[in-house]
Order: sequence, then structure tokens, then C-alpha cells
Amino acid sequence: MMAVRKDLSIEYLGVKCENPFFLSSSPVGGNYDMVAKCFEAGWGGVFFKTIGIFVADECSPRFDNNGKEGLPWIGFKNMEQISDKPTEQNFEYLARLKRDYPDKVVVSSIMGSDEDEWKKLAKLSEQAGVDLIEGNFSCPQMTSHAMGSDVGSSPELVKQYSEAVTSVTDIPFIAKMTPNITNMNLPARAAALGGAKGISAINTIKSITNIDFEHMTAMPVVDGKSSISGYSGAAVRPIALRFCALLAQDALLRDAEFSGIGGVETWRDALEFLLVGCRNIQVTTAVMQYGYRIVEDMISGLSHFMEERGYDDLDALIGQALPNIIPAEELNRDFRIIPNIDRDKCVGCGRCYISCCDGAHQAIDWEEDARRPAINDKCVGCHLCLNVCPVAGCITPGEIRFKEGRRHTDILLKRYYD
Amino acid sequence: MSKLATAEYASEAQAGFTHRTAMEEAARCLLCHDAPCSAGCPAGTDPGRFIRSIRFRNPKGAAETIRENNILGGSCARICPCDKLCEEACSRSGIDRPIEIGKLQRYAMEQENIFHLKTRRPPQEKKALRVACVGAGPASLACAAALAEAGYGVTIFEAEAKAGGMLTYGVPPMRLPQEVIDRDIDAVRGLGVEFVFNTRVGRDIGLGDLKAKGFAAVFIGAGLWRSKLPDTEGAELDGVLTAVDFLKNARSTGGRTELEGKSVVVIGGGDVAMDCAATAKLTGAQSVAIYYRRTLEEAPANADELRYVFSLGVPIVTNFAPARFVGDGGKLKSAEFKGRDGKSFASVTADVVVFAAGQAPEDMTRLAGDLRLTQEGLIDADGSGHTNLPFVFAAGDAVNGGKTAVEAVAEGKAVAVEMIARLENAPKDGANRDGKEVR
Ligand SMILES: Cc1cc2nc3c(=O)[nH]c(=O)nc-3n(C[C@H](O)[C@H](O)[C@H](O)COP(=O)(O)OP(=O)(O)OC[C@H]3O[C@@H](n4cnc5c(N)ncnc54)[C@H](O)[C@@H]3O)c2cc1C
Ligand SMILES: Cc1cc2nc3c(=O)[nH]c(=O)nc-3n(C[C@H](O)[C@H](O)[C@H](O)COP(=O)(O)O)c2cc1C
Ligand code: SF4
Ligand code: SF4
Ligand code: SF4
Repeated sequence: MMAVRKDLSIEYLGVKCENPFFLSSSPVGGNYDMVAKCFEAGWGGVFFKTIGIFVADECSPRFDNNGKEGLPWIGFKNMEQISDKPTEQNFEYLARLKRDYPDKVVVSSIMGSDEDEWKKLAKLSEQAGVDLIEGNFSCPQMTSHAMGSDVGSSPELVKQYSEAVTSVTDIPFIAKMTPNITNMNLPARAAALGGAKGISAINTIKSITNIDFEHMTAMPVVDGKSSISGYSGAAVRPIALRFCALLAQDALLRDAEFSGIGGVETWRDALEFLLVGCRNIQVTTAVMQYGYRIVEDMISGLSHFMEERGYDDLDALIGQALPNIIPAEELNRDFRIIPNIDRDKCVGCGRCYISCCDGAHQAIDWEEDARRPAINDKCVGCHLCLNVCPVAGCITPGEIRFKEGRRHTDILLKRYYD
Repeated sequence: MSKLATAEYASEAQAGFTHRTAMEEAARCLLCHDAPCSAGCPAGTDPGRFIRSIRFRNPKGAAETIRENNILGGSCARICPCDKLCEEACSRSGIDRPIEIGKLQRYAMEQENIFHLKTRRPPQEKKALRVACVGAGPASLACAAALAEAGYGVTIFEAEAKAGGMLTYGVPPMRLPQEVIDRDIDAVRGLGVEFVFNTRVGRDIGLGDLKAKGFAAVFIGAGLWRSKLPDTEGAELDGVLTAVDFLKNARSTGGRTELEGKSVVVIGGGDVAMDCAATAKLTGAQSVAIYYRRTLEEAPANADELRYVFSLGVPIVTNFAPARFVGDGGKLKSAEFKGRDGKSFASVTADVVVFAAGQAPEDMTRLAGDLRLTQEGLIDADGSGHTNLPFVFAAGDAVNGGKTAVEAVAEGKAVAVEMIARLENAPKDGANRDGKEVR
């Protein structure tokens, strides 16, 4: 193989990772053989399926997905809890994985229901020889309020249980956050105060993906009933990115390191998380849909990107987008960018016209005979039309017009849209 | 809109994918386990793998996969009879229609060009041994690339002025633009392979001379360059042409076939006949018709090619075989056909008849008198490319009797592996090099 391959290694919490691509805690890393196979496929490490003293008793079926216009799996809903395997067996898997794959990173994910359980699980993790420990404060479908996202939305409990873990082991501890909260920074700071060195975000979002008209309940249908439960996959990536960016911008979390999770399928998705400050990337849903093999194109695609942009070190990419993600009140509002419509590329569908009429500012006139749009002077530069046009490169940012009486400055324009 | 397509000889007939349309097509791919499409590619180009790369937003990785597996990936993307290979195997057919694999391959290779990717590079360590390849067609190019990558010094001797074989001199440019072939050839050249043009082995230089010049092994990828002319009465008339001569002339003159105002009849039902008809039509012939002795169903031509000539307004008359060519003063005037039913008869005026009834090998004994041939005059080589002569290997059309570019690539690649194995052991079975049969 002469293919472009960059060194994608990076340290996460002092542990050397051959690449930042890890399985997140879920059935994709649920036993020895699965994890061994994912390692062979190229994943840098695994956050093993959450282990508790509590052993889950799962419902059936427990998954659903929703799509749009023929594309399934935009988002994925699961009603699973933590591992349904005996606690000792899980730690035995971990010990064997670390022994057989010393260069891969093995992380235990644990969840207790009280301080003693958290301590015990931390100790068992240490005995198994794991590199890192993640505390699951975030599963939204636990059957007890003493566990899962109910704990994760209480900063006090997060701090208390983080302290419990860090009081019994020196292995770096990572707190996994629930997005089912307005301000994630509060439990994250509490975790840091409790001794956590890393923050993982996000776990799944409480959801109802579809309502079943046959049984008048949500999906999936379990004996005619269903529950609200966790949503993941491509649809949650924008929400996950927002939480990660806010964590990474938090001065009170400046010593923490971040692991980004939520909807990662491609190298581009992973890169986005790196650019908002994550040093580690976790994936579940895309692996459930496509298999471990997706890591091949993550490695290759990120290598090509680094080659193209002249990066030799992944570290140089971490957090690159953070300084440019600013509060809305600080944006430059002095100008508007009038789109440019390429009449030759235009296929005359009129979608821009419909959208501008019904969703924007009636700023497009429709030339009926020619079947071409023409922008009039009511255009506010919102770029709804650019977003809706089905032809690549047809509607692009054009003339910059400064508002009355505003200062003329150099404006940075995005030029290339996929 | 007219029923007929308007097109130019030298510009590509089919438009490629954009990023968006490529993604749309890749999104149709089922991302199969043990992808059947990959098993369907003779050269192991691995469409299942490269489509997955496109789907996961890694078109550069897709280009790498293609180029690594198939040094002529750009050309194959344009001319492979995909409907009989990878697309034939595609699981998506069980739902609606196969993935457009050839077109996705083309998209990926266009990305390679846009980003100036160099996937295959010469090895750091060179070997002392040198190998000669006869002919610069797909078989030799694939073989040469693999040998060069393994460190051998490779020189290709080519009779014509340019590399590419039938891709450069046969397949017309609206199906395969020259720059696409040239990029593939550049990939071979980039590995350090040297080309010696205008040199016909067996005439300008002997096989024996190659050995004397220090080439430790020879690969013959000479193709099929003698057109079969029928023994039909009147076949010697001025105006009766063979397909390869006709196409080669069209390609090397940039389409100046001087057919303006002329009536052209093409005889045959394969891809070559379709190419001749399209070439005649697009270089100015007033009327073009294809006559084929069997039915359309039996015609070996690829479905896309048939559709393409129909779209140009070229009719195909089936179940008529040539009976006689009638001339006046040595010049062709008409062609007569008899029907398969034994009763029908047709006589058509024709200024030019192009005979696309298949190619045959040139006299291969000119390469070496003791080279063993088959009854049809093909080089008698086994599955790993061994001829009867020690350290002389052969593959491609000259051995298989004329198949496809991708099969020539597959064979050239496979034979290179065998050659490397033999050359690695060369000191040990040195005896073989001096005359004993290797087989
Ligand atoms: C009109 C036409 C259309 C075709 N369309 C398709 C298609 O759509 N798809 C497809 O897959 N295949 C197609 N083919 C077939 C394809 O081109 C061949 O299968 C392929 O080119 C065979 O490769 P090769 O290397 O064996 O031989 P060639 O391509 O024939 O190359 C042989 C080379 O050797 C050179 N040579 C011969 N003798 C000597 C000598 N003594 N010394 C030095 N050089 C010599 C020749 O000049 C030539 O360059 C087509 C063929 C023709 C004629
Ligand atoms: C079926 C399933 C089971 C999961 N189980 C766990 C779990 O045991 N522990 C945990 O911390 N997160 C669990 N998660 C959440 C994932 O680890 C991840 O945080 C979330 O799915 C978002 O990432 P994704 O979009 O890549 O799937 C589970 C997710 C799914 C889909
Ligand atoms: S930018 Fe907004 S207002 Fe202007 S034409 Fe487009 S949709 Fe209409
Ligand atoms: S949406 Fe795009 S293609 Fe359709 S009419 Fe508008 S500019 Fe043309
Ligand atoms: S067989 Fe068809 S659907 Fe399956 S991987 Fe290949 S191209 Fe995709």
C-alpha cells in the first residue's frame, strides 16, 4: 500500500492513542471478540459497554430509526440499558483485551447506584488493568433514578460519585455527560471538582422517533407500549458539537480534556469534533449501521486532509475552530451578501423562488418563460435560496452590500460549498 | 428535443458525476458484506471498497483504492463492460437497478486528477534485474507497473508512436478521451517504466537481442492487430476497410476520415462494430447502417453501446450476412446481403464498408521462431503466462484471443506476480534461463 497515511497518534489524558477513533460505550464494544475485531479493523481504542453491579434486563424490540426522503437512519433510538452480562465476566473481558492488545486503549465504562458501587467498580477496573475509566452519568433509560441521566443532571451527585471513583484509583477518570440538560457545563465542572480529568459528551437525547398508528404508541412497540428513550446518530451531531464547543470554551474546565461523541460517521464528522476542542472521538450508531470498517475511511480521509493542508500532527488541529465560534451579539452585522445565481447552471426548478417567497423576503422574481429566478432589491442576504438550490455551485455568495451608514471593512466570505 | 443525440467525435459522450450526484449514487449502494461487485471485477479494482470510501466522504481514498488495484483505473472506468462484470453482480439489482459503478469509478479518478494524487510511487529499493515488455497495451502496462513497483527495471518496446494499445488506437475518443489514457500511462511512467516507441520487436529488434541486452525476462502483450477480412467476393475493392484500420486512422487524424457525404455500411454486432458506426457518424458520413448476421439478442455488443449508436440514429439490420461487394473500376459501389432465412436479400449502396468481424494475431513467430502458438495463431501460454520459452511470458489479447481491457490488466498483473516469483528464484533455477523449459 502506497496510500497516504499520516501519523494520527494523539495523547488522551496521558495515554498514547494510535488514533483518536474509539468505540463509544454500547453494544458495539460488548464482549471480547467484538472489541478484538474492532481493534483489527483499526480503531484506536474502546469505551467498553457500561458495567454496573446492576445487570440489565432488556426489552424487545428496543431500536427504531427515523429518516427523511428515502434516507433511513438519520437518527436512531434505543431503549437499551447498561451491560446485560455478569459484572465479573465483563471485567474478565477487559483484562484479556488489555493483555492481548497492549497498544490499544481499553477504557471501562462504569455506573453505580451509590458511592460504594462506584468505588467497587473503579477498583475492579483498576484490577483489570484498564487505561482509563469513564463514568456513565448519562444513560436516559435506566429503570432506577439512582442511575443514569437523572444522576448526570444533578451536579451534586456527579461530583460525589466522581470523588468516589477518584478517591480509590489514580487511573484518569472521565465523566460522560447527558445532553438532557440546559447547561452541561454545570455537571461538567462538578465532575472536574470531583477529580475527573476528562469529559465525554454526549450520551443519547431523550426522544420519540415515531408514533405507531397501529398501536397508538411510540416506536419501537413493546407489547403495545413504548417509552421515551435515547436518540443518537447523524441527527444529534449538531447538538453534540454545540455541547462540546461550550465545554471546551469554558475557562473553568481549562484543565479538562474532551472526548466528542454523537453522530460521527466520517472523517469529516470526526474532524469537526477535533476542531471544537476534542482530543478523542467516540462512535456507536454509525458502527451499528455500517460496521467497524468505517474506521478505514476515517483514517484515510483524515490523513488526506492533513496531507492537503500540510498538517503533520493531530494536536495542531485541536480546537482550531473555537476562537471563531463567538456569541451572536459579537457577529459583524454591517453587511449583507447578495447571492449570485448562475443562470447557466440553473435547471429552472423554481425551488429558490418558492422558498424565498414563502420562507424569506419575496426577493426573487420568477421569469416565467425563461424559467429562471432573478434576485430583486428586497434581498436581505439570508441565503435560504442557496441552501435549497439542488444544483451544486449554482447559487453562491455574491456581492457584499454594506448597510446604510456602516463601516466598510474587509469581509471574509465562504466560497466553496459542497 | 430531437430524438437523436448530437455529439462530436472528440468530445466525451457521457457526462460524469458531480460531488452531489456521486453521493446520491453512492447512497444507493447497499455497502454489501463480501461485496459481490468486487468479486465481479477481473482486475480486483474492488468497487465495494471504493464506493464505500465515496459514501464516507473520502473520494481521495476511493481513488487510491482504484489506482492501487488497477493501474488503468481511469480508462477502465470509461470502457469496462460493467453490465457484464461488477454491475452484473450488484446486489442492488434485487431491489431496482445496479449501482452505476463505472461512473462512480470515473468520478473518483477525476478527483485523483483534480487533487494531483500520486498513489503509486517507485520503490525505494531497486533491483538489478531488468525486464522487457513487448507492446504498450493494457496487458503490458499492468505487468510493467507491478514489476516496476517490485523494483525491477522495466522497458516497454512499442511498435506505434504512442502507448495505450487498442485504447489509444482503437476505442474512439467519445468513449475514452485520450487524456484519460494518458493519465493512466503517466501513472505507469511515474513508477520509472521506460518506453521505447516506434520499435517493433521481431522486426526492429529480436527477442534474442533483448536477452542479449540483459533483460532477464520478457513479457509479450502484443494484442491482436491483424483484422480478419472475409473471403467475401469483392473484399479487395477500394472502400472495403477493416475496423482496426478505420478506427486507427480516425484516431490518429483526429477524426478526419473524409467521409463527408458518403454512405457507410458497418458489418458486425460487437462493440467494435458500434465504435466504427459511431465514428463514421460523428466524423461526417451522410448515412451509416450496421448489418449483423444474427439477432440483436445474440449481438455481443454491450447494451450501452447499442443504445448509444441508436441515439445517433444509426440503424441495425439484423439477420443479414454479407454476400458480395460490388464495385466499379475497383471502387466499392454497393454491398449485397443475404438473409438468415435463406430467402431475403438486400442490396445497399455503399461508398465504404467497414468490416468489424474480429481481430486476429499478427504472425507471432516473427517475435521468435520457436515460440509455440495455438491453432488460431495465438501465443500458447498457460494461466500464469508461461510460454514454451524460458523467461518469456505472455498475456492479454494475444493469448486470450481478444477480451477486454480489464481482463488484459488482470492478466498482466497476475503474470507479473509469477514473473517476480520466478526472477526471485532466478539464481537457483539459473539453468532455466539458459534454455531448459520452465513449465
Ligand atoms: C475498437 C475496439 C473497441 C474496444 N472496446 C473495448 C471496450 O469498450 N472495453 C474493453 O474492455 N475492451 C475493449 N476493447 C478490447 C481492448 O481494447 C483489448 O482487450 C485490450 O486493449 C487488450 O490489451 P492488450 O494489452 O492485450 O493488447 P493491445 O491493446 O492490443 O496492445 C498491444 C500493443 O502491442 C503493440 N505491439 C504489437 N506487436 C508488437 C511488436 N511486435 N512489437 C512492439 N509492439 C507491438 C501494439 O502496437 C499495441 O500497442 C476494444 C477493442 C477494440 C479494437
Ligand atoms: C444501542 C445503544 C446502547 C448504548 N449503551 C450505552 C452504554 O451502555 N453506556 C453509555 O455510556 N452510552 C451508551 N450509549 C450511548 C453511546 O455511547 C453514545 O454516547 C451515543 O449513542 C451517541 O453517539 P453516536 O451518535 O455515535 O451513537 C448507547 C447507545 C446506543 C445506540
Ligand atoms: S438570500 Fe434570502 S432574501 Fe435573498 S434571494 Fe435568497 S432567499 Fe431571498
Ligand atoms: S433553485 Fe437553483 S436550479 Fe432551481 S430555479 Fe433556483 S437557481 Fe435554478
Ligand atoms: S454489489 Fe452493488 S450494492 Fe453491493 S456493495 Fe457492490 S455496488 Fe454496492
